[in-house]
Amino acid sequence: MENNASYVLKTRNLKAYYILDDLGKKKTVKAVDDVNLEIRKNEIYGIAGESGCGKTTLMKTLYALLKPPLRLIDGKVLYYRDGEEMDIYALDNEERRKLRWEYIAYIPQGAMSIFNPVLKIKETYRDFLDSHLSGKTRDEIFEIAREHIRQLGLPLKVLDSYPHQLSGGMRQRVAIALAALLKPAVIFADEPTTALDVVVQRGVVQLLNEIQDGLENTIILVTHDMGIHANITDRLAIMYAGKIIEEGNTDEIFDNPLHPYTKYLINSLPRFGDRGSRVSAPGNPPSLANLPGGCSFHPRCPHKMDICEKKIPELNDQGNGHKAACWLLNGGEGKDEGTS
Amino acid sequence: MFVRRYLIPRLLQYFLVIFLGITIVFFIPRFAPTNPVQRTIAELRSRGTYLNPADVEKMVEDLTRLYGLEGSWFEQYIDFWKRLFSGDFGISFFQFPVPVIDLIKNALPWTVGLLFVTTVLSWIIGNIIGGIAGYYNNKRWSRIMDGIVMFIRPIPYYIFALGLLILLAYVYRLFPIAGGHSLGRKPSFTISYILDVLRHAFLPALSLVILGAASWFQTSKLIVQNVNAEDFVQYAQLGGIKERKIMFKYVIRNAMLPQVTNLALSLGQILSGALITEIVFSYPGLGNLLFSAITTGDYNLIMGITALSILAITSLVLIIDLLYPLFDPRIKYK
Repeated sequence: MENNASYVLKTRNLKAYYILDDLGKKKTVKAVDDVNLEIRKNEIYGIAGESGCGKTTLMKTLYALLKPPLRLIDGKVLYYRDGEEMDIYALDNEERRKLRWEYIAYIPQGAMSIFNPVLKIKETYRDFLDSHLSGKTRDEIFEIAREHIRQLGLPLKVLDSYPHQLSGGMRQRVAIALAALLKPAVIFADEPTTALDVVVQRGVVQLLNEIQDGLENTIILVTHDMGIHANITDRLAIMYAGKIIEEGNTDEIFDNPLHPYTKYLINSLPRFGDRGSRVSAPGNPPSLANLPGGCSFHPRCPHKMDICEKKIPELNDQGNGHKAACWLLNGGEGKDEGTS
Repeated sequence: MFVRRYLIPRLLQYFLVIFLGITIVFFIPRFAPTNPVQRTIAELRSRGTYLNPADVEKMVEDLTRLYGLEGSWFEQYIDFWKRLFSGDFGISFFQFPVPVIDLIKNALPWTVGLLFVTTVLSWIIGNIIGGIAGYYNNKRWSRIMDGIVMFIRPIPYYIFALGLLILLAYVYRLFPIAGGHSLGRKPSFTISYILDVLRHAFLPALSLVILGAASWFQTSKLIVQNVNAEDFVQYAQLGGIKERKIMFKYVIRNAMLPQVTNLALSLGQILSGALITEIVFSYPGLGNLLFSAITTGDYNLIMGITALSILAITSLVLIIDLLYPLFDPRIKYK
């Protein structure tokens, strides 16, 4: 076991549900269900999964961005800052405000509309800096912004532009640059490459990589694009129906996927020289409001056994820190080797 | 570039709208069933004045000339424009023979003074309170405010105004019941006269500000709630930007944009007067004048007031169009 000093973020049995009132009938959408993460310093940690599997909700829960109807049901989100353990849900509003951007930063999905349309980008920079650094003059702040943009190799003129004057790719890059502004220990990147063409995607991925190299911090990258995960993440978690079903080193998962769902995900990727048609997981992802009993993947799984419908498999270590939650691996007995 | 591609076409449009508006104003009263010349003479007769037929004929001729009703409609129309450029709207019928322009000059300060102040005041009050209430939509006090406004807003204006008048001027005699200043006082720049005017303006102003602010409150609150859900507001929140800054610079600043246009339009309507206000409170403004003009079939006066208000609205819209890019950088002249 490594000690806490090498971790930056851990969650314990994290549960966040959307509690909806559907014409007097209560509906519970289990978007994050019993998630245990241990994310290390200085790594790019990927989270992959289909649309609607709870990836973005998980990110919001880690960032404490819960707004009704999304509620934290159970569990803890713990950050480690200077050897100290902090439960983000135990902080008061001002402490949480300061934690954000100084220690954890967020690149939201859809950078097209995240900037105030009536402010120049440098004004947005100023608001971010103003709210976290005290005693700086306007000019000093603009100088910090210019220096930061220059370091990341973005054109300086973006600072004097309004958001609508920038292309989608440039807006995404500015969002990434802004996230790195105060050298946070953790950057959450939610689908940073979605809605961009592949050439721009490459630039965005490179920028993320450069930032991580420079700051030696942790980036938690959510995307459904397995190609990007293969390219830049160090470790990878596969999410299905609100749960982590497989986790491990990215190379290990791509070389030796254990969970049937992960196998489908990886086998669906095109490979050089292989002209055969690709097979994807049959059926559709389940509704999070009405999950099948037992392992949520069993209706789509080709290796379904009796136990799969009855009991939820646990995420167990299969050696080398490669964890998977599947009855096939545990011999149907549910033995528990891993730590949670 | 800006001048040729935007300003000149925009100015042409401005003049075209004024031209068409005033043309319509010229023709509409001419379709009305009252003949002002016959009406004036009938009025004289009804007071018991004896007129011999020769005099009547002479009078008809003079009045027709005075009212600008000589010749065909086309000739009248040309004549009308000629006089308009020299600021001559002709002579009023119902306050014969005072020139229309003098009547307007007398009434204008009352209306502009009352309505400009109340329009701007209710815009500011309604938008600020509505904006803050919209931002703190989940707070209890915000819901209470919403309830109060929801109760006030649908009260018909004349009932609200009459209620205020009865309560504060008749039951409790705190304010005068009618007029713009005490009877028989000469306008002057003394403190006591100004206080007198303010005392008379208080009730009409109060009725306008309360109902006006209530309406701005509701629109502003609604817009703010929408802006609140915008991505850039969420982004500012997750970036740990200070709350006051988010509220004013991100939410209210953006919610103001449509309200600026609405303010300009309401200011433009000032010159048509607050008809009901001025009638209920017997306020000596343009609204009252317009009402009398309509009931007595006073073409010239109707045309004078309407032409002025067309000018005011189109000019304000033009100004807002030209200034708008200052508020919203996404708007470009093209």
